[in-house]
Amino acid sequence: MAPRSIWNGAVAFGAVNVPIKVYGALEDKAIRFRELHVKDGSEVGHRLIDQKGKEIPRDRVVKGFEVSGGEYVVLSDDEIKAADQPARKAIELEDFVPGEDIDPVFYGKPYHLAPQKDAEDAYALLVKALEKSGRVGIGRVSLRQREQLVSVRPVDGVLRMQIMRFADELVDPDSLDVDEPSKKPGKREIDMAGMLVETLAATFEPERYEDTYRERVLEVVKAKEKGEQITLPDPEPASDSDDLMAALEASLKASKG
Amino acid sequence: MAPRSLWSGSLSFGLVNVPVALVSAVQDRDVHFNQLDKKTGARLHVERYCKEEDVAIEYDEVASGYPRSDGDGYVMLTDLELEAAQPEKTRTIDISEFVDLQDVDPIYFDHPYFLVPKAEGEGALRAYKLLVGVMEATDRVALGRFVMRTKEYLVALRVQGGVLQLVTMKFADEIRSADDLPNLPTKKHQPSKGEVDHAVALIEELSVDWDPEQYKDRHRDRLRKIIRDKKKGKTIKAPEEPEVPAAVPDLMAALRESLEAARSDGKGKADGSSKAKSGGSKAKEKAKAKA
Repeated sequence: MAPRSIWNGAVAFGAVNVPIKVYGALEDKAIRFRELHVKDGSEVGHRLIDQKGKEIPRDRVVKGFEVSGGEYVVLSDDEIKAADQPARKAIELEDFVPGEDIDPVFYGKPYHLAPQKDAEDAYALLVKALEKSGRVGIGRVSLRQREQLVSVRPVDGVLRMQIMRFADELVDPDSLDVDEPSKKPGKREIDMAGMLVETLAATFEPERYEDTYRERVLEVVKAKEKGEQITLPDPEPASDSDDLMAALEASLKASKG
Repeated sequence: MAPRSLWSGSLSFGLVNVPVALVSAVQDRDVHFNQLDKKTGARLHVERYCKEEDVAIEYDEVASGYPRSDGDGYVMLTDLELEAAQPEKTRTIDISEFVDLQDVDPIYFDHPYFLVPKAEGEGALRAYKLLVGVMEATDRVALGRFVMRTKEYLVALRVQGGVLQLVTMKFADEIRSADDLPNLPTKKHQPSKGEVDHAVALIEELSVDWDPEQYKDRHRDRLRKIIRDKKKGKTIKAPEEPEVPAAVPDLMAALRESLEAARSDGKGKADGSSKAKSGGSKAKEKAKAKA
């Protein structure tokens, strides 16, 4: 099946622009369940109700922002759209940065970019120049009803765009308040754990990992449909992490076979 | 306020088990709207109801339905029955190997979380610290997998600020290949050396260090301003349709023009933005030296 584009516009930097189309790079493989009422197995619906429990039809619903307790400013869809006012239908690349400096936590949803007809030359040039410079373009584009920060990089001759998270959306680990043990791990424990890391060193080969859980869930569904009883095994007793050394020694022994 | 735990279980590294809780590493800063009744202005809520009995039900009365093979209704499964599919994966994140972070294509990264120690016992805290210590010492990331809300994830674990960070990853079969995209350039579209040199020079001119703090969410700020304006009774004008940029007829000319513009103001795009760039790049320094 030919992929379907979700947006078209241009990648722009300087006075150069490359007409492109945007394609989703992800395929949703999660199993979709339908919500059922556990009591009688009938379907669960969703409806909008007011405080008195009265259902309000969708065409009577507006969007309001709570400016103070109970006081709302109502905005129409067009007014909300005004917050998203691109001058051009373009992915405006502002900066080019070293890709290896970007921490993975910033990367969000990925997309593929393909050239529009007759833009192949300009597209090929942008790919080549990005490859040669080793840089990733950072820019803005209006997509999914809001301006997004995005990165654009070449991967095997194809431009890839990924939505980027804003720095202030990321939680500071210092705010998490993690307790310290009264006695820090000893040098021997750290050394042994380090050895264990070494025995588990590998090269990243994404194809090696498969979602096997999907199949297992479908098996459970099948069993249930046949009327079989589904039982959950008792949880394993929590292992004692107090004797770290013993656990590490046993792990190392096991990993060395 | 302590962040809400989204999952809790055990992180296992060899035979060392650490009880942990998962919290999101992303905080939602979007401007959120409530749904109101146009007529009365009353705030509305979503209610789940049983379509058969027409009564409101709570979330804990909801089970999962999967279409029956004969197409007649659903097979109903409770959360416990779903957990039976692979209980060990539902309860444990098992570290299976350590890989170089640079080898992992960012397309695989999905959502970042933190893992915090869950038990307060000395042993659990020490095991957690040991993992943090040893992972700080290696430049590799740990890979593992686990199940959250009936979906299995491959995960990458690292240390950030003394805390274990977990990023969920996509499986290879969840990523669409770019091979069948239309109009991809072929050999006959290869740019000339002169074009490439000019384009690379332009990229160099526009190069800066990666400094995520300096990119602000302008959408959020604009939306807040619109809300303020509306509150004051101002009229909010609908935006004009964005202009569709036309393809450049002469690539070389466009590159030359852009390079000249970039070199004359030290920073390419004439968008009037006056954001201060911290830690100027070499390219910028060079541009200044030339000026």
